[in-house]
Amino acid sequence: MRILLVDDEADLVDAIARGLRRNGYAVDTALDGDEALAKATWTPYDLICLDITMPGLDGFEVCRALRENPPEGVAPRILMLTARDTVEERIRGLDVGADDYLVKPFAFDELAARVRSLLRRDSGRTGAVLMVGSLLLDTATHDVSRGGRSLDLTAKEFALLRYFMSRPGDVVSQEDLLDHVWDEHVDPFTNTVRVTVGTLRRKLSEGDELAIIETIVGSGYRLLDDGADPS
Amino acid sequence: MIVRDESGVASWAPNRLGSIRTRLTLLYSILLFGLAAIMVGGIYLSLSRALSDEPLSRDARYGDLIAAVESASGVSGDDALPVSDRLVAFEGEVNRRALDQLRTYSVTALVALFLGSLAVGWYVAGLVLRPIGRISSVAREISATDLSRRIDLGGPDDELRDLADTFDDMLGRLDVAFESQRRFVQEASHELRNPLAVLRANLDVVMADPNADTDDFRAAGEVAGRAASRMSALVDDLLLYAHHERTDSRREPVDAAIVVAETVEDFGATAAAAGIVLLHEIAPELPVVGDPVALRRALANLLSNAIRVSDPTCRVRVTAGQDAEMVWMSVLDDGPGLSPEDQERVFQRFWRGDRASAREAGRSGLGLAIVRQIAEAHGGQVTLRSTIGVGSTFTVWLPRFVDS
Repeated sequence: MRILLVDDEADLVDAIARGLRRNGYAVDTALDGDEALAKATWTPYDLICLDITMPGLDGFEVCRALRENPPEGVAPRILMLTARDTVEERIRGLDVGADDYLVKPFAFDELAARVRSLLRRDSGRTGAVLMVGSLLLDTATHDVSRGGRSLDLTAKEFALLRYFMSRPGDVVSQEDLLDHVWDEHVDPFTNTVRVTVGTLRRKLSEGDELAIIETIVGSGYRLLDDGADPS
Repeated sequence: MIVRDESGVASWAPNRLGSIRTRLTLLYSILLFGLAAIMVGGIYLSLSRALSDEPLSRDARYGDLIAAVESASGVSGDDALPVSDRLVAFEGEVNRRALDQLRTYSVTALVALFLGSLAVGWYVAGLVLRPIGRISSVAREISATDLSRRIDLGGPDDELRDLADTFDDMLGRLDVAFESQRRFVQEASHELRNPLAVLRANLDVVMADPNADTDDFRAAGEVAGRAASRMSALVDDLLLYAHHERTDSRREPVDAAIVVAETVEDFGATAAAAGIVLLHEIAPELPVVGDPVALRRALANLLSNAIRVSDPTCRVRVTAGQDAEMVWMSVLDDGPGLSPEDQERVFQRFWRGDRASAREAGRSGLGLAIVRQIAEAHGGQVTLRSTIGVGSTFTVWLPRFVDS
C-alpha cells in the first residue's frame, strides 16, 4: 500500500512517514500542495494524507483537483490532516472529496487505525484481518501466520504480503508492486522486488508446505489459495 | 440570576412589597391623599371658622330682618326669650349639622380617594414599568442564551425606549468584542496545534519503536525542542497581542523622534550582523500622546520585518516627520516587495509570507498585526506601499499632539 503524506511541517512529515513505514507502508512525502498534486498525478497512490493549510495550493484545492482529474486506476483515498476543527471546515473538507478527517494534534495510533480503515474499503473487507487459505494477516497487530505457524516478516515483506492478500488470485506485475509497495526512493531498475518476493516465498513455505506465490513469467506474480484452514 | 429565598423556592421577581411598582403606588396614593386631606381640611376649617365667628343673628345689619320676624310672629322683642337668641340657637344648630355633614362626606371621600388612587396608581405604575419588565426579561434571556438577540423595544421615543436602545447598542458592542475574542482564541489554538502535532507525532513514533536507539531519541528530542521554542514564541506574541488589545494602556506625551532614534540605535547591531545598511532621517520633536513602550514595539516589529526580508548589502531606511495633523514613522526596505493580494493580508493575524521559513525562525505571524493594533489604539493607522521587486514602505501615522 502506497501513501503520499503532504504537510508543510517537515518535522511532522518525517515522524509520520517513519511511523507509517514501520507499519509496512510505502510512504512518499510532499511539503506543499503543488508538489503533492504533481506526485499524485504520476503515481497511483492508495491513500493521500493531506494537510489543509499549506503554501501554494491548499489541501482543499489539491483534493478538488484530484477528484476532478483523477489519476488512472483506483482513485486514492484522501485523509485530511488539519489544525482547523470547526464543523464548517470538516464539512467543506468532506464535500470536496476527502474520505476522512483527522484534527491535529492526533495520536499516531489513531492515524494508523484510520489509514488501515480507509485502505480496507478498497478490497471490500470489513475487519482488520486478511485471510487467504491457510494464510492469516492482521493489519492492525501485524501478526502473520500460516496454518497456525507464526511468521516473522520484515516491514517490506509484510507490506508485500498484504498487497498480495488484498488481491488473491490476481496476477500482480512488478510495476504494480513498485507503485504500491515501494516508495519514490526505489531504483526502478533494481532487482529488489524479485529478491523480496523470493525471501517472502521462502518464509511462507517451510518443509513440504505448498509454495503459494507463483511466478508467471513475463507478467508477474500470483498468490494462490492453498485451500487449507488457517489454524 | 436566580434568587433563592430561605424556603428554597426560586423567584425571578424582586420582593413584591419592595418593588418599584408598590413604592410608586404608595407614594402616589399618599401624596394624593395628603394633598386632598390638606385641601379638604382647609375647606372645613375655614368654613367652620366662618360659621362660628359671629352669629349672623347678632349682626346689626340683619336688625331689620329680626324685627320683621318679631312683628310677623307677633312677639314683642322685649318679653320672653328674645327672638334673636332663638335665631342664634337655630343658626348654631344648622351650622353644626352642615359641618357634621361636611366632615362625614370629606372623610368618606378621602377614604374613597385613597382606595381609588391606590388602584389607579398600581395600574399606571404597571403601565409605565411594563417596558422595564420586558427589558429585564429579554436581558436575562440574552445573558443566558446568545448575544446576537436584541431588546428592540419599539414604541414611542421616550426615556425607556432610550434605555432599551442604549442597552441594544451595548449588546452590539459586546457581541462584536466577544466574537473577535472567540475568533482570536480559535486562531491562536490552531496555531498552537501545529507544533503540538509535531511534538505528539514524534514522541508517539519514537516511543512505539522497539528498535529505537539513542540517536532516534536524540532526534526526537531536538524536534521537540524546536516545537517547544516555536510554541513559547507564539505564546509570547499572543500575550503581547492580548495586552495591546486592552484600551486602557498608558497615555502620556511622547516625543516620537526619541522613540524612533532609540529604536534605530537598538537595531544597529542586528542590521550590521545581517550585513544591512540602516539609514535614518528623523525630524526633531514629534509630539504624540501614547504609550512609548508600545510605539517602540511597533517600530521594532517593522524594523525586524524589513531586516528579515532584505538581502545583505541592501539598505533599510527609517524616516520620521510630521505635518499639521499627523506624525509619521516610516520603514522602507529594498526587499522583494509584496503582491497586491498579499498587501491586503499582511496585517492579518497569523499571516506569514513564507510559512516554512517563518516557522524555522520561530515567527508567530503576529508582528504586523501587533503594529496595526498599536497604531489603531493610538488613534492612528499603518499603511503599506509596496512594489514587487522594488521593496516595501510601512508607515505608522499618529495624531500629532497639539498643546493648547
